[in-house]
Amino acid sequence: MGKKRKHNESEAAEPAKQDDGFAPERPKRTLLGWKDKPEEKGTDSQVFRNKEKVLVTCSRRINFRYRHLMLNMVSLLPNCKKDNKVESKETKGATLNELVELRNCSSCLFFECRKHQDLYLWMAKCPGGPSVKFLVKAVHTMEELKLTGNHLKGSRPLLTFSNNFDKDPHWKLLKELLMQIFATPKDHRKAKPYHDHVFVFSILDNHIWFRNYQISVPHNEANKVDRGGLEKMTLVEVGPRFCLNPIKIFGGSFGGPTLYENPFYVSPNLERALKKKQKASKFAKKVKAKTRRKMHELSNHLEPDEFTDLWNE
Amino acid sequence: MEMTISPNFLNTNPYKHLFDLVLKADLTLFSRAKMIDDDLDLNGQISGSESESEYEGSEVVRLAEPAKESIYNKDGLIDKLGDISWPDNVEWIHKLSVDIDTQEDVNVEDDIARELSFFTQALEGTRQAFVKLESMGLPFLRPSDYYAEMVKTDSHMEKIRGSLLAEKREIEEREEKRKAREAKKLAKEVQAEKQKERAKQKKEMIESVKKWRKQRQRNGFAGGDEDGEMVMDFEEGKAFERSSKKRPGVSPGDRSGGKAGQFGGKGKKGMNKKANRREFRNSKFGFGGRKGLKKQNTAETTDDLGSFNKSNPRNKRHKA
Repeated sequence: MGKKRKHNESEAAEPAKQDDGFAPERPKRTLLGWKDKPEEKGTDSQVFRNKEKVLVTCSRRINFRYRHLMLNMVSLLPNCKKDNKVESKETKGATLNELVELRNCSSCLFFECRKHQDLYLWMAKCPGGPSVKFLVKAVHTMEELKLTGNHLKGSRPLLTFSNNFDKDPHWKLLKELLMQIFATPKDHRKAKPYHDHVFVFSILDNHIWFRNYQISVPHNEANKVDRGGLEKMTLVEVGPRFCLNPIKIFGGSFGGPTLYENPFYVSPNLERALKKKQKASKFAKKVKAKTRRKMHELSNHLEPDEFTDLWNE
Repeated sequence: MEMTISPNFLNTNPYKHLFDLVLKADLTLFSRAKMIDDDLDLNGQISGSESESEYEGSEVVRLAEPAKESIYNKDGLIDKLGDISWPDNVEWIHKLSVDIDTQEDVNVEDDIARELSFFTQALEGTRQAFVKLESMGLPFLRPSDYYAEMVKTDSHMEKIRGSLLAEKREIEEREEKRKAREAKKLAKEVQAEKQKERAKQKKEMIESVKKWRKQRQRNGFAGGDEDGEMVMDFEEGKAFERSSKKRPGVSPGDRSGGKAGQFGGKGKKGMNKKANRREFRNSKFGFGGRKGLKKQNTAETTDDLGSFNKSNPRNKRHKA
């Protein structure tokens, strides 16, 4: 520490001496090295930099299929950090928020699997942002042999949204959330240069459907498509595929006031219970129908047939 | 119903205790009625009551479905949207998002139509995006010699390729089998014709030999040249018709007729499987079988030293 003080003093003395000298000023010495005179920083603070970091975790007792889906998401998002499994108690309350803060992330994708059957996906913007809980259905992972496409790992995707995202405020909010989470930041370390795949987010029947396609277009140069090549463009599906059913939108991260509740949402437990009831009522209906028939027969007697006594003899 | 009672009245009234009782009774009745009212009012709101109390001061628009009522806080949603969205002057290159017009009349249950709608959305989106990227002048298409880590491993892509090829092969095989079935019908008829021809020829041959013998007998076995008397087919041109199928590499000393190693390798598939098999077994076991082919000094066997020490050392009987 003493040395540093001395150095400062000498520094302070030198410029005073050299002020009227001919030699140019020595560059100022800082802790990080030599720096020239500070330049004007006009526009640097205005440049937008996407610093989105996504934390991807899951709950314990997750199914193999959903685990593979989570791993696929990790490979699709180069700006994500994968964390260990979270205990079931920690899914409520502030623990998840703390975890996100700890890992220095700005949003979170939490895959919660219940009863080894149902997958719920939480998407949250972490410091104070909104969060959404989805029910995930129709999951097909990238490992399926029918999905034959392939693309660079870490290349920035093109995002396409169907225009019915702009019709209602809750869809607009979801669109913004999806865009911020799924768009790879431009100057990310792990981002690869070219654009060779496209994400599709589309709303059908109040569900959000997700698809991922590889783009193959005939080209010879890297910055120009061949003439007429846009017509010959083909898309091959890479996967994964899933369908999201929004359940609730909350004002805070993993909690907070409910901003939106889906009126068409039926919980999977309820669905299963209804199906069972339907099946159970089959027998009861049969019995009822039998008794009804008996009563009907008793009340309306059949007319005696003309051929009944034909073979009596 | 509220009763405003001045404190003086209570203190000075001789029937104060009765009034007290009445008051209490009234109050309890009143409160119970209020509770019932509350229940009726908050029937559908109970689920959202906590949130309502927390989020006071904003309009809570209730979305009443025929069966359900649910929360729909438009202002809150728009507020949050304003909170999280990026500034408006962010360039498109950061977002890379395109909005596509879609038709609403896609049936969700119809798989093909649904996937087609997604496909067209993606196609339209990439076209628009590529036009923009081209105008920006940045490289966006991967060159063919750019090798980097892909999202699916090479081994996985090999598996995919294998399954695709297997599918293609199955389809081709099915086609071939169908064609073979058709051809078999035709072939049967052709075969029948050929058999008849051969039988006829054989008969003719035997007849001609018999004739020749008779003629010779008649002429008293006179030798010499009898030209032009008998036409012997087999001398002239048409020799005994052997099967024109060449068995490759049949050497003169080969008594098995080239069929020694034939069936063991790969049998011919299809219709002539059984015929081949019959031929092979005939050659091996018919008419007393193949004699003495076990040890042969041929070009192949002189250099072949593999038969030494062939026996399994475990099976060797140890001579005690």
